[in-house]
Amino acid sequence: MALAVMLLNGASFHGGCCRHKGLLSLLGPLLSNSKLYSSYRRPGAETKKKLSWQNADFSFKKGIDHLKTQLSLLKKETQDYLQGPGGHPLSQHLLEQTRVLWQFRSQEDLNKWVISSDEEIGGKSKVYIKLGRNNQAALLYGTLNTEVPRDGETKYSGYCSMRSRPVVGSFNRKKYYDWSNFNTLYIRVRGDGRPWMVNIYTDPYFSHQKDDLYSYFMFTRGGPYWEEIKIPFSKFFFSSRGRVQDNQHPVWLDKASFLTLGFTIGDKVDGPFQLEIDFIGLLNDRAHREEFAYEIYDKNTPV
Amino acid sequence: PQAKLIFTLSLLLGTTITISSNHWVMAWAGLEINTLAILPLISKSHHPRAIEAATKYFLTQATASALVLFSSMNNAWYTGQWDITQLTHPMSCLILTSALAMKLGLAPFHFWFPEVLQGSSLTTGLLLSTAMKFPPITLLYMTSHSLNPTILTYMAIISTALGGWMGLNQTQTRKILAFSSITHLGWMTIIVSYSPKLTLLNFYLYILMTTATFLALNTIKATKLSTLMTTWAKTPSLNAMLLLTLLSLAGLPPLTGFLPKWLIIQELTKQDMSLAATTISLLSLLGLFFYLRLAYCATITLPPHTTNHMKQ
Repeated sequence: MALAVMLLNGASFHGGCCRHKGLLSLLGPLLSNSKLYSSYRRPGAETKKKLSWQNADFSFKKGIDHLKTQLSLLKKETQDYLQGPGGHPLSQHLLEQTRVLWQFRSQEDLNKWVISSDEEIGGKSKVYIKLGRNNQAALLYGTLNTEVPRDGETKYSGYCSMRSRPVVGSFNRKKYYDWSNFNTLYIRVRGDGRPWMVNIYTDPYFSHQKDDLYSYFMFTRGGPYWEEIKIPFSKFFFSSRGRVQDNQHPVWLDKASFLTLGFTIGDKVDGPFQLEIDFIGLLNDRAHREEFAYEIYDKNTPV
Repeated sequence: PQAKLIFTLSLLLGTTITISSNHWVMAWAGLEINTLAILPLISKSHHPRAIEAATKYFLTQATASALVLFSSMNNAWYTGQWDITQLTHPMSCLILTSALAMKLGLAPFHFWFPEVLQGSSLTTGLLLSTAMKFPPITLLYMTSHSLNPTILTYMAIISTALGGWMGLNQTQTRKILAFSSITHLGWMTIIVSYSPKLTLLNFYLYILMTTATFLALNTIKATKLSTLMTTWAKTPSLNAMLLLTLLSLAGLPPLTGFLPKWLIIQELTKQDMSLAATTISLLSLLGLFFYLRLAYCATITLPPHTTNHMKQ
C-alpha cells in the first residue's frame, strides 16, 4: 500500500500519458480506467458531460418567471381535472373512438420529438427532421450507414430514430396518458418502402426496468400516395435492452405513464431514407377482438 | 395449482392468528404472514405493473408491521407486559395509530392503495380490500380505548375528503374502488373511539358490498369505465344489481349502505361531535358523485348514446 502511494506521488510529477501508463502497468485492475457501464448514450442526451450543478443559473427574475409559468400550468391542470378525465368532459371520454395525439403542422410540433442516430456511438448515419411541404407533415430523412464504429465493442450499427419527448406537467411532474379506450395505433405516413419499427416506452415507476420496450414493425409502401397504417396494441411484443423476452405480456395502456413513442429504422441497408408523417393518432377498433397476439400460457412448465 | 391453495391457506392462517391473539408478537406474526402470502397473488401475472404494485404493497406493509412491533416493544419496555388490550404508553399509542393507518390505507398513508389495486387483478383486489383489512381492523377494535381520538378523527375526515376528491376523475374501476375503500375506512375510524361495535358493523357491511361489486365487475371483466358501458346488452340483470350495489356503497337511504352511516352520525351527535358528523357526511357527497357516475355509465345510459333514449 505504501508502495502504491509512493508510486502515485512519483507518478504525479510526470506528464499526462506517462502517469497513465505508470499507474496502469503497476496497479492494473485496481485503478482500471474502464467505465463500469457501456459507452452507449441514450438518444437526446447531451454530448458533453456537464455536471448538473453547473447547469444551475441563479437569476432571480428567471426564477420568478419560471414559478409563474409553473403556477399557470398548475391552474390549467386543476381546471382540466374539474372538467373530467383527461381534461375533456366525461361524455367525450366515454364516446370517443379516435384521438389525434401528435400532428405536425408547425415547428413547435417538431420540437416535441427528438431525433437520434448511431452517431451517438460513433457511427456514420445521419438523420434530419423538418416540416414538409405546406406545413402539412413532418419529413424525417437522412442516410443510413451500417459501417461499424471501430471501438472494439460494437458489432452492428446503422440506425436512426425519432422519439417523442415525454410530457411534463406543472413543476416538472410526469404526466400520464390514459389510452385505455383505444386499441389501435393509427399513423398516416408516406414512406419510401423501407421497414420501420414502432417502439413504445412506458416509464417504470419503482423498478429499474428502464430498458423495456414494446415494439412492432411498420412496413411502408413507396408510392406517392399517403398510407394509413393501423397497428393494434395487441401486436406489440415486449423486449428489454433489445432482446425479445420469453414471457410476453401485452402493453397496459391505462396509466401509460410517461409514454414515449418512437420510430426506428435499422434494416441493415445502406442508403438514404425518407418518411413523411402527417399525424399519429389512436383508434378504437371495435372489430379487433384479439387481446394479445403472442402466447401467454406457461411454456416451460416443469414436469 | 397447489400454490394458490397454499397462499389462500396462509392468508386464512395469518388472519386467524392475528384476530385471536392476545400477545403483540402473535398479532405481528399474523400480519407478516398475510403480507407475504398475498404478494405472489398480486404479482401472479408477471406484468411489470403488477410487480410494481407488489413492490409498493410490500414496502408499505413491511414498514407498518415494523412500526406495530416497535410500538408494542416500546409499550413492553415501559409497562412490562405485551397484552394487546393494555396499551398504555402514549408514544406507543401514537406509533400504533400511524402503523394501523398505514396498514389500512387511511390518509395520509393512502398513496399506495390505488396503485396497488390497479396493478392487481380484480379478484386479488377484492382480497386486498376485504381480507387484508380484517386483521388491522381487529387490532383497531381491540386497542380502541387507548388510541388518541383526535388524531383518529382528523385522519378519518381527511380520508373521506381525499377518497372523495381523488376518486372524482378516475376512469379505471379498480382505482375507483380503491378510493371508495379509503372513504369507507374514514367512516370506520371516526367512530372507533366512541363505539367500536359500529366500526365492526360498518366493516362487515362494507365487506359485503365490496365483495358484491368486485365479483360483479369480475364477471363482466370491467377494468375501465368504457367497458361498463356495454354491459346492458350482455347481462342486464347483473347490470341492475350492480347499480343497486353501487348506490348502496354510496350510502343511499333505502339500501343497506345507509345503515352504518346513520348509526355513526347518530353516535357522533350523541358524543357532541356534530361538526365532525356534518363534515364527514358532506364529504361523502363527493363519493356519491363518482358512484353515481359509475352507475350512470353502466345502467342509465344506453351506449353509444349518453342518454336513455335514442337521439335523432
